[in-house]
Amino acid sequence: MPGRGALSLVRREGCWLGEFTAMASPCQVLSKADRAAARRQLEAAAAEAWRIEAKFSRYRDGNVVARINAADGGPVAVDDETAGLLDFAAELYRLSGGRFDITSGVLREVWTFDGSDRLPAPSDVRRVLTRVGWNKVRWERPLLTLAPGMQIDLGGIGKEYAVDRAAALAAAISQAPCLVNFGGDLAAVGEIAEHAPWRVGIEALDAAGEACRRIDLARGGLATSGDSRRFLLKNGIRYGHVLDPRTGWPVTGAPRSVTVAADTCSEAGMLATFALLMGGDAEIFLSRQSVRYWALR
Amino acid sequence: MAVTERRRKRPARRQPKLPANVAQGIAAATCSLLGSAAAAPVLAQEPPSWKLDTALLYYGEADARVQDLSLNVLARRLYTDDRTLSLGLVVDALTGASPTGAIPQDEVQTFTRPSGEAVYSVAPGELPLDDTFRDTRYAITASWEQPLGRLYTGSAGISFSTEYDYTHAGADFHLSRDFNKRNTTLSVGAALARDELDPVGGAPLPFAPMTDLGDLSSRGSGSESKDVIDLLLGVTQVINENFVVQVNYSLSDSSGYLNDPYKILSVVDPVSGAGTPRAPAAGAEGPLHEYRFESRPDTRTKHSLFAQGKYYLDGRVLDVSWRYMTDDWGIDSQTVDTRLLWPVGERSSLEPHVRFYTQTEADFYRASLVAGEPLPAFASADYRLGDFDAITAGVRYSRRLDSGNELALRLEYYRQDGDVPPEQLIGNQTSEALYPGLDAVIFEVSYAFGF
Amino acid sequence: MKRQYRPYLLALATLVAGSGCTSLGVEPWERDVLAKQEMQLVTAPLDAAINDHIYFSKEASSGGRGFGGGGCGCN
Repeated sequence: MPGRGALSLVRREGCWLGEFTAMASPCQVLSKADRAAARRQLEAAAAEAWRIEAKFSRYRDGNVVARINAADGGPVAVDDETAGLLDFAAELYRLSGGRFDITSGVLREVWTFDGSDRLPAPSDVRRVLTRVGWNKVRWERPLLTLAPGMQIDLGGIGKEYAVDRAAALAAAISQAPCLVNFGGDLAAVGEIAEHAPWRVGIEALDAAGEACRRIDLARGGLATSGDSRRFLLKNGIRYGHVLDPRTGWPVTGAPRSVTVAADTCSEAGMLATFALLMGGDAEIFLSRQSVRYWALR
Repeated sequence: MAVTERRRKRPARRQPKLPANVAQGIAAATCSLLGSAAAAPVLAQEPPSWKLDTALLYYGEADARVQDLSLNVLARRLYTDDRTLSLGLVVDALTGASPTGAIPQDEVQTFTRPSGEAVYSVAPGELPLDDTFRDTRYAITASWEQPLGRLYTGSAGISFSTEYDYTHAGADFHLSRDFNKRNTTLSVGAALARDELDPVGGAPLPFAPMTDLGDLSSRGSGSESKDVIDLLLGVTQVINENFVVQVNYSLSDSSGYLNDPYKILSVVDPVSGAGTPRAPAAGAEGPLHEYRFESRPDTRTKHSLFAQGKYYLDGRVLDVSWRYMTDDWGIDSQTVDTRLLWPVGERSSLEPHVRFYTQTEADFYRASLVAGEPLPAFASADYRLGDFDAITAGVRYSRRLDSGNELALRLEYYRQDGDVPPEQLIGNQTSEALYPGLDAVIFEVSYAFGF
Repeated sequence: MKRQYRPYLLALATLVAGSGCTSLGVEPWERDVLAKQEMQLVTAPLDAAINDHIYFSKEASSGGRGFGGGGCGCN
């Protein structure tokens, strides 16, 4: 994987493979177009990924998220793109019955998922929980007002959004089949190669790198949510890192990993996230929605 | 990870209070976010784990000879890491009749059936045919193939077939190794088979005379068996991006009962070449001329050299192969097989095919035995051991259907033309009358699908 | 791989290499065409088996490409 800011483009069997690093993930653009078009698709996808990362990452100073998180109770005017993401987050909060909440990030002040057995005290969790809740936010486009002490984190929607945006740019450059893969979140665009789809593997839980399920993706989005890597373990009970913002505690009974196929990567990503938030009801939820999914326990 | 998870004690589980169709809500929200018209529907599915090839074959020879109708199925299951299980089934129904090895004569000929329970007659000038073999054969195969480490692939298989007078059981093994960035592959293989024959009426004794009805003095008792060992050494080499070749050497060793229990030779007069008359016993029915059952050696060693090349040019694939075979029965053969796969549009292809075959006769092949002469060590009049050329010509049309499955039709014509060497013709015998020749049609419908 | 067999495998590999085979071939990423279904040495295994059986029954030669699936009392 090339270092930050670098692009690599090589020929693989039947396609061009472009690679770069963004959003702390290995990113790939696979294209069946000719070399020149594949190069342009790679550059467009990388530029878009870096742009979105710079604009919405909570680790960067001076971007719109940093300004919102530093506003300390005051209103912040946001641009159209940010407003679109906030509308999206608001709708997801409503659709999930409060389980998906971009203000839940502050819970990481008391939860550290390092594989140890250090659980936070319930009083600490209750204390932080007072600063969590989209219902405490005033969102009147284009003004966003958080209560003092609240923070927003777009990490749960940013990567899939970047995949869909990059894929749209790639599709505008060439109609040949193209697959965008940002760290396991995928979108396939372009002509359908119905009998030569992209062969994607879902990683097995125990042996990282060894695909345990094969999926043929001809068009659409594929996203995986999982908590196999970050967790706490105490008294034989495993606490996954997906937190329920209504209680401040980890969701129980969720599958280790959920992969969903949907028309876009954002849609697939949100369905997978919602499923994990449903805990033990993940599979029931997904089958009721009539979506294609693969859940590993 | 053997870890248990206990639900934390909390009030009775709340039912998921979510709007009825969350997925639609998410889809609508995504549309607004991405600012695009509704995205095209997703196409994602697991690749079929089973692949099934099926084919219905009709093989028919002209002049009321052999007709064969068979159903063929090959099922392959792909597991992770390129491991494959293959299961095959063939059901083969044979009808019609095939030449017995007796030659046409100017008089009516009568023969005793191999069962010894009936006779049949053949008009003057007609080629004697026997239909005793008509039957249904069932064959199954099973094999397992998997990589052994990074560069080796191994496979092992078994096969079994049964028909009313013949049973086969066999096993085979293969090992191959890649070299040179997988441009070169060496392979070795071995196969063992044990076949049992239980001919109707009992296996005839070599050169025994054909007897009257009910007279089994020419028959041995019980069944006979045959063992076959095959060895193969092969090299596959990628020449360039569009060209790959394969060369194989194989050795085949058979031992045991190698005769065809239903094949006979006519015994003829040394001067006229006409059949030697014979009278059945008083009150019995039986042959009106003398015939003897054939006799072949009880071992046979074959060597073959096979070479194949596949060349890709502009979407078309040319496949040419050549095989040379020689054995210790004195038979030499050459086969040249060529096909050209020609794509037609996006989904179909046409594949014309031509095959040339030529073989020399076995040392002990003869059209007939001469009365009064001492018997040779071995003799057979089976046209398949004679001197002939054959040609197959046909075309295969295949089409990929909407479902991704493939349908194919194949129609071919197969013709054998041979002759009896002049020095073997006796008296008034002519080569055209003696050597049957063969005209056949091959028609196959096949369907391949996965699930 | 036992050490005692290594020399034989090496000898074999040398034979192969020495015969000029190392100059032939393609890089892994040049296998677009070779990977196609229609470029496999046996594209339709069922058809190949059917043909092998027909010619085994009507001619004195058999095999060459591989092993036949099994014998028969073909007359």
